[in-house]
Amino acid sequence: MSGYILPPEPMTNEAVAERLTNAAVSRIQNGLIKKQNLIYLELNGCSGNIISLLNGQNPDFEYMVNSMVNLRYSNSLMASEGEQAMEKLLAASQDEYILAVEGAVALRDNGLYNVIGTLNGKPLTGLEAVTMLGQKASRILAVGACATHGGVSAAKPNPSESVGLQRVLPEKEIIKLPGCPVNPDWFLGTLAHLLLYGVPETDNLGRPLMFYSTLIHDRCPRRPFFDKGIFAEKLGDKTCLFKLGCRGPVTRIDCPTRQWNGHVNWPIGANTPCIGCTQFGFPDAMAPFITYDTTRVVKDE
Amino acid sequence: MTNIELQRLRMNHLVTQARYDLYTLSGLTDQSPQKQPILQRLWDTLSEIHFISEVLANQANAQPASHLTQMQPAMLAANGMTLNQLPNSTPSNDRTFTLEELANYDGKNGRAAYVAVNGTVYDVTNNRTWAAATHFGLTAGKEYTEEFASCHAGQQAILATLPVVGRLL
Ligand code: HEM
Ligand code: SF4
Repeated sequence: MSGYILPPEPMTNEAVAERLTNAAVSRIQNGLIKKQNLIYLELNGCSGNIISLLNGQNPDFEYMVNSMVNLRYSNSLMASEGEQAMEKLLAASQDEYILAVEGAVALRDNGLYNVIGTLNGKPLTGLEAVTMLGQKASRILAVGACATHGGVSAAKPNPSESVGLQRVLPEKEIIKLPGCPVNPDWFLGTLAHLLLYGVPETDNLGRPLMFYSTLIHDRCPRRPFFDKGIFAEKLGDKTCLFKLGCRGPVTRIDCPTRQWNGHVNWPIGANTPCIGCTQFGFPDAMAPFITYDTTRVVKDE
Repeated sequence: MTNIELQRLRMNHLVTQARYDLYTLSGLTDQSPQKQPILQRLWDTLSEIHFISEVLANQANAQPASHLTQMQPAMLAANGMTLNQLPNSTPSNDRTFTLEELANYDGKNGRAAYVAVNGTVYDVTNNRTWAAATHFGLTAGKEYTEEFASCHAGQQAILATLPVVGRLL
């Protein structure tokens, strides 16, 4: 992976991701880099990120697990359950590991609103688990909106008193991958970068610039309509969705070129406004997601 | 909404565009190849502002009794810019608003979206960060001096990029 990659080499998202993973895997096979352990914790959330990750292609999640890292714990994907699973978690925490966390940390009643297992007959809260594992992790990845800043779990009135990971690990460097959910490429790409070259360059909020640098609005195919002031009045209109509440103008992420579900489509491509899910403060700061009464023009007032 | 109001909105949009361009230009080096297309667009924007102002003037002549907005020279957008010779005028006026009047400009039903900060009323109808007349939990048609101070401390330049529509009583 030295120098520039120029056409006719394919420059599609798939091709770029494949080159990155192939490089990581071949270096692992040649013993140039060490295969690292990964612990994937699911805290207060909806498991939407792990589901999104299973949608990954080039590398797909299974391939990534087997060839790039040793997945030592993931409560959605491992076969063990109950105390056995907890023992695996404890054993994994004895070695060096990268920690990935999805979901927020619930603080209320000492974390009892989010229990991730039973250890020695006592409930193990997400708060305890992440405080313990976070101290020792070689690298920490906050995956999705809830882990990065509280997200949906911390939306008003926030009955579980949920917060983002940084609040309980204030001293730690945390790579933040906001999004509801995270796109598999953002997670797997960041992980591959970690293995190959170390921590990727981030902005002042801790988000990797390779994915989170550019406003949706600046790469939106409907931008000419915005510039001309031609706005959609309802879902399905092919013009700019600004008046319906599109958050593309404040949201920095690569959806317009990356796209979802195997790089097939994305919200604005499917005629629905961007809801700003990679924005800190989502969902409250990005509400309302859709508004119709801005464009319904009434007679001369 | 009246025709005049629509033209005013269009003007505000153009002025905002021109200010952004001027701002961008002020940051470019002399040799930058990006300069040419931006200058071209500024030229086009000014032509269109000129055209609309002619239309507005015609309407003003046709109905002299109307409470038309009085044009004033604008303050230049960002600091450090000394391009005063450009006819960069904004349709600001002496209009005054009470809080109740301001509340009408909530961006709904095709109405414009205004917000007040430090006694000045600004037009955010087509500001990119105010989609559907909402902005990080705030809705248009209100007074937001405190919110602006707490969220945008030291960012007075933001206000300078917004078209002024009047004063809050
Ligand atoms: C609750 C308080 C507020 C918060 C959290 C907030 C947040 C933000 C953020 C995050 C941006 C940057 C968006 C981006 O460039 O990607 C922004 C931009 C902006 N805000 Fe606010 N804001 C608040 C209050 C206000 C108020 C009261 C006004 C009224 C004038 C205002 C006017 C603007 C404007 C015009 C911009 C665009 C600046 C530019 O052109 O780059 N904001 N705001
Ligand atoms: S649809 Fe949204 S992102 Fe696209 S140009 Fe309009 S406001 Fe910007």
